[in-house]
Amino acid sequence: MIAVGVALALALITGALALSADGAASLWRHAYHVPVVVAALRYGGRGVLVALAAVLLYAPIVIPSLERSGPSGEVLEGLMTFAMLLGSGVLSAALAIGVRRQRGRFETLVAVQRSLEGEAPMSVALARLRACLAVRLDADVGLAVQDGSRVAVAGGVEMASSSAVARVLASGEPLFVADAGGVTRPRRCFVTPLGAGGPTTGALAIERAGDIGPDERRALLTLAAHLGLALENARLAARQRRFGDELAEKVAAATERVVEIDRLKSEFVALASHELRTPLTALQGFSELLATRRFAPTEIARIGLIMATETERLGRIVSDFLDLTRLERGLAPPLRRRRVDAAALVSDAVELLRRGRTTHELDVELDGPLPELDADPDALDRVVKNLVGNAVKYSPAGTRVRVAARARSAPSAVEITIEDEGPGIAEADLPRVFEPYYRAAGASAAAGGLGLGLAVVKSLVDAHGGEIHAENMAPHGTRMTLIIPAVP
Amino acid sequence: MYALEHPLVNRQGALLDDTPWNAIATLALGVAGVTILSVLGLVPRAALGIAGTAAAHGTLLGVALAWTSTGERRDRQAPLEAALLLGAAACAAEALPGGWLAYVALPAWLACRRPGWIGAGTAPSGGAVAGGAIFGLGLGVHLLVSAWLTLGHHVRLGPAGELAAWWAYDLGANVLSAEAFFRAALFERAHRRWAFPAAAALSAAASVARYLVDPLLPHSPEMIAGAAFYLALLSVGNCWLLARTGGLLPPYAAGLAFFAVYRLLATR
Repeated sequence: MIAVGVALALALITGALALSADGAASLWRHAYHVPVVVAALRYGGRGVLVALAAVLLYAPIVIPSLERSGPSGEVLEGLMTFAMLLGSGVLSAALAIGVRRQRGRFETLVAVQRSLEGEAPMSVALARLRACLAVRLDADVGLAVQDGSRVAVAGGVEMASSSAVARVLASGEPLFVADAGGVTRPRRCFVTPLGAGGPTTGALAIERAGDIGPDERRALLTLAAHLGLALENARLAARQRRFGDELAEKVAAATERVVEIDRLKSEFVALASHELRTPLTALQGFSELLATRRFAPTEIARIGLIMATETERLGRIVSDFLDLTRLERGLAPPLRRRRVDAAALVSDAVELLRRGRTTHELDVELDGPLPELDADPDALDRVVKNLVGNAVKYSPAGTRVRVAARARSAPSAVEITIEDEGPGIAEADLPRVFEPYYRAAGASAAAGGLGLGLAVVKSLVDAHGGEIHAENMAPHGTRMTLIIPAVP
Repeated sequence: MYALEHPLVNRQGALLDDTPWNAIATLALGVAGVTILSVLGLVPRAALGIAGTAAAHGTLLGVALAWTSTGERRDRQAPLEAALLLGAAACAAEALPGGWLAYVALPAWLACRRPGWIGAGTAPSGGAVAGGAIFGLGLGVHLLVSAWLTLGHHVRLGPAGELAAWWAYDLGANVLSAEAFFRAALFERAHRRWAFPAAAALSAAASVARYLVDPLLPHSPEMIAGAAFYLALLSVGNCWLLARTGGLLPPYAAGLAFFAVYRLLATR
């Protein structure tokens, strides 16, 4: 519609000039500026053609005057009008182009931000960004962005190692290729690094069958800087969201753990009260008996033995409490290290238990000579007795408990295994059996215990630089494996 | 995408790379020989015109083919091949009534050699060709009006045979060689190096220069100024058409339309 109006205006003005008696000096000549400026504002660069058309239409009126009377005032006015028409056309077009470009750049930036909204993997975000830029820039667009250790690419299958994009990624400098192929028309290519002054985080490539002028290249540099920042912001936002999610998960897990520990502690207090009450009741009862009655010397000796046993039990519980306190404060148990004969230590501990327990068959297997250990013998004795005691406690009477020891090399150590024929430990409980207060769900209440034994054992083994782990055996039974470093 | 998936290679050589200098030298020697023979009176004077026409347009057409060659050995001899065909057409036009029809063979020959230029394949749409023709026609009509108002030249509509001979010459030699060389070869080559304004300026300047040295153009100052003005406009417009459409048919149509109207100008 505007084009038709412009053409009509040019024709009417030319007709009016041709019919005017004033010839080239007619005031109608100034009317050419209206369609020229309108076309330049509406069509930008192409609008200059209207200025050219106006000059061509006006020229047959001016040039004959020039031929007839030379450079007269009338002719000079005509020639000046040529210059004015071309000048106003070019100037108006330049202003219109500048305004459009500026608006286009802002719209492009907004479109870029919108295309990066929401959480998406880098490849998806790049594909969206590329589609947006291809429309806005009216060109083929390629993007390559550093995504961790790899380069995420949009606009191609993969990046060639010696491609223009690869060069820009390596150098951080923009690259203009005047001839990037094209059969009938040359294709221009411009590649610019992404990022604003900092390290190059990627590259933006533009390809078009047509010019990519210096002004557009400057605009693309600015756009690439914005793109780099937008991508970095999107990446940071995604990372923040991820961290937030992870933090929430960790807080939930920690809360759950605190609740679990609180429950275990409550259970522990109940159990500890019960465990302390049992020997105390015995001690109180027997001491009252001794105070109020007279007994035969043999009976007094028997009562004394019972009281000693209960006192020892009480001492063991208090000792466990002390160890637990150290454990909770993150302190290693105190060790008095010296050279220890591992074979003798294992044999003596089992032999002592064997004498006290007659319900299970205790086997000891020592595989060859064992190296000496640099360890606290009391602590190790306590460890072995605790493990063997547990094996006896949690396996049916009449079954066998097997204790074996063998030397290990590289690094030199002694491996002690305690196997029982009990029901084993539930798989879910296996990772937690060495935690303080923890008692497996199937642990028999009759077996007693505070759930501290294995935690104390582990702390003692750790203090020796050793390791311990529990596993179930087929078809049933539990194996505790203890590795203590030997004297180097 | 080239920038991403292909190794970066430098495609640009010198602007005059692949010019078939041997063939051009041979043609120059041939014209020199005919000139000598003509001066000595051993050949008729018309032979010099035929040789000059064949050599000049043959050189432009041949160089255009050589510059846009994809490696065919035959393209190195294209100036000689084109000159032979043009010479034959010029002889036919000179010697036979209606012999000017022989010029029609030249576009057909070029269409076979470069289908993408004139023939099928990547030929642009009919609208683009029509647009080119309208552009050339408008410029030609403007030239007629300006020449009439300014210099008092009138429009002639005959003799029909002479007009037809000129149109045929434009179709097969003048416009064909100009568009092939100045647009399809020179502009295209320059445009692969520089931006459109620089490439179009080079192409237009070379094109105007070629017409200014053309012995067939009237050499009055008014005519030279007019020719420079209109040919510069035509050249820039044709460069734009080529860059816009990617085919030679629109600028060829513009050139044909312009010269068809120009031939109606009674300059003598």
